[in-house]
Amino acid sequence: MPDKNNVWKKVKGLIPGDKLILIAALVVVVAIFSSLNSNYFSWTNFVNILVAASLIGLVAIGHTYLLIAGQNDLSPGSVAAFTGVLCATLVSMGLPFVLSALVTLLAGAVVGIFNAWMVNKIKIEAFIATLVTQFVFRGFAYILCDGRPVSITDSAYLSLGSIRILTIPLSVWIMLVLILVFGLILAKTKFGRSVYAIGGNKDAARLAGLNPQRTVTILFILMGVVTALGGIVFSSRMHSGQPAANVNLEFDAITAVVLGGVSFTGGVGNMAGTILGVILIQAFNTGLIMVNVPSFWQYVARGALLLFALASDYIRKTKREKALLEASKKALAS
Amino acid sequence: MTHSVEFKNITKYFPGVKALDDVSFTAKGGEVLAFLGENGAGKSTLLKTLNGDYQATSGEYLLDGRPVHFKSPHEAIEAGVSVIYQERQILMELSIAENIFLGRMPANRFGWIDIREANRRAQEIINDFGLPVKPQTKVKDLSIAYQQMVEIMKAYSRDNLRVICFDEPTASLSDAEIDALFKIIEKLRNEGKVIIYVSHRMSEIKRIADKVAIFKDGRYVTTCDAKTTDDAQLIRLMVGRDLGDIYDNLDRDKEIGDVLLKVENVSSDYVEPVSFTLRKGEVLGFSGLVGAGRTEVMRAIIGADRLRSGKIYLDGKEIVSKSPHDAMSNGIVYVPEDRKTQGILANLDVGKNITISMLDRNSNKIGVLDQKKEKDIVEAGIKDFAVKTPNAEKKIVELSGGNQQKCIVARWMATNPRVLILDEPTKGIDVGAKSEFYHMICRFAKQGLGVILVSSELPEIIGLSDRIIVMSNLRIAGEVMRQEATEEKLLSLAMTEGGKN
Repeated sequence: MPDKNNVWKKVKGLIPGDKLILIAALVVVVAIFSSLNSNYFSWTNFVNILVAASLIGLVAIGHTYLLIAGQNDLSPGSVAAFTGVLCATLVSMGLPFVLSALVTLLAGAVVGIFNAWMVNKIKIEAFIATLVTQFVFRGFAYILCDGRPVSITDSAYLSLGSIRILTIPLSVWIMLVLILVFGLILAKTKFGRSVYAIGGNKDAARLAGLNPQRTVTILFILMGVVTALGGIVFSSRMHSGQPAANVNLEFDAITAVVLGGVSFTGGVGNMAGTILGVILIQAFNTGLIMVNVPSFWQYVARGALLLFALASDYIRKTKREKALLEASKKALAS
Repeated sequence: MTHSVEFKNITKYFPGVKALDDVSFTAKGGEVLAFLGENGAGKSTLLKTLNGDYQATSGEYLLDGRPVHFKSPHEAIEAGVSVIYQERQILMELSIAENIFLGRMPANRFGWIDIREANRRAQEIINDFGLPVKPQTKVKDLSIAYQQMVEIMKAYSRDNLRVICFDEPTASLSDAEIDALFKIIEKLRNEGKVIIYVSHRMSEIKRIADKVAIFKDGRYVTTCDAKTTDDAQLIRLMVGRDLGDIYDNLDRDKEIGDVLLKVENVSSDYVEPVSFTLRKGEVLGFSGLVGAGRTEVMRAIIGADRLRSGKIYLDGKEIVSKSPHDAMSNGIVYVPEDRKTQGILANLDVGKNITISMLDRNSNKIGVLDQKKEKDIVEAGIKDFAVKTPNAEKKIVELSGGNQQKCIVARWMATNPRVLILDEPTKGIDVGAKSEFYHMICRFAKQGLGVILVSSELPEIIGLSDRIIVMSNLRIAGEVMRQEATEEKLLSLAMTEGGKN
């Protein structure tokens, strides 16, 4: 028994407590759906979950940064649909895929600049400002293709979804690599540090010599670009750019990020939590479909999951404040 | 029947602050009890605990001998405990009568409000108070003194009023208005209410209070008789030390160097044009009343607010700071007035708070932070400024106010500045840490820095500054050299109407 305890302690030391809860939740979700549908517990299905998660994962990178900086973005669903249609249209017009993709990523960046402009210059709360973008770009997505999906035949474009490395599709690798890279940037660079500082206190950060407006602009551009990349990847998987796609994408991404431990009030969280949150939410969503939960009830279930995420965020916050109070009590008692 | 309020061993913690430390006192009906103490002594926390805004971490709160646990000011008011704050808590667009009976307007059984009955009852109270106002008058049309009276009448209109507290009630009143207020306080006292009176003004306390409860650093010191205890004794109890000694023992810079900073006609949207110079090794004090524009001058200099006019020279060369970041690169740094909302980054630890202004210098070309460099700066900062923390990974809000402030100073000193601006650096920190800061300021001046000290505490600014600029109404009202600085002189300049330029 003592041996086992030691191993357990070592594992606990490697993974912080809040992540352990996420892993436990993932195990519970997988166990429940596996018992309800034996096909759920298979490598093929796990890969499918990852494929389905790749779009949410890309958008969640942006949300992780934005939420930590005390911002938010409700536009990714529309923007992903718009950029998917845009890239498919450009390719169908004869432009090479690589060039079309670059133009699409640039368009994503422009959307980000627009969001940042509303937040920085017209001082609209990000939550409301990006609602504007959500509407406008859903409209542009329909306008661009006259409401009809644009089918994709270009083989380079389609290879994004079909090429596999170690049985895992390229789109999943793209998500995993980017989450790793942006996780490192968040944890190890001055840019990452300034994101936390701004989320903690924008005014104090500015007085300390940081440039919150510039950082917020970069974050929205990042969000626009990863969303555009997500839009390209998704359209490749669907073999068409679809103007009606990706509704409520931001909903899933925000749920994943908050489940992963990023606080809605800013300043707290990291990318390791996000990847776990992304996998957890997609395992949940896929499970709902596989055990034939009626689609109307899926909405209710996903809403419940978001409520759970927000409630646990609140509990974590209360706990942090309590711990702080206790710690300062101890420090001051001496 | 006489009422009473009793605090038994009340302690209140906030993150990083022990605001009340084992406070016990009793206030009886039919007498005026004054609370006396320096800034940060815990008076406002006491009032907020009394009226249910805060809940004590431990201890007992007895009202008329029975323990009470108010969860909100509303509950306290319902139980007959009212606090009249400096900031008005009334609705400007409503009439006097509507304010007095807010939330409990006389109404018939269908809920239809009977405004005539309200006006009639309000008029009774107004007559009681002997005021020349009409119940129908909108509160926004009243002078500040009468607005305050409306608040008192609102508290008085409750049949069960037992305790009424005044927080610096005379701060914005004329002498005649003060007389009127005191008459009403005496009336309330004669009716057996418990009256708690918070003020800095010694002469008023002597006039109106029967007893004085003295607080220091969140602790209750003692209660004295207001009429028989002399001022000097009260001050000694309140300060608990002879400040003169602290200032006399400072290792001051005898030699002041060349002009370091020259500010010429600098103005922003928040302050009129000001001009002054700062020399190397000089401590330049900025005195004046709250709202005189001192902080605004500093914010303009460091580029936190946009300049409307003026030029700034450092070592004779013009510099332009469009943001605090530019100012830092130019060698001018600013420790802000409000540590909690403008200084610390509450979500980060001590180390990251210290290194936040050094991100550019601590990272390589692609922006990756050098952990070794950061660690060295943090360790040096903690050591040089004697920050009391078990380690650098502690959240900054877990430290005491003084130690948080040391971290902010360490943050800026790491950038190797030429000019250090300190805005109310010792506000809300304990005496021990204050004296450490005074030594620190003198040390910085000795090292050849130009130090600007903005402070509302007159003894502090007189004790530390080589030269003092006094501001009034967003302008510079005058300049006083150290040798001739007295509290009276600074105050009379600070009160100058309009100031001069």
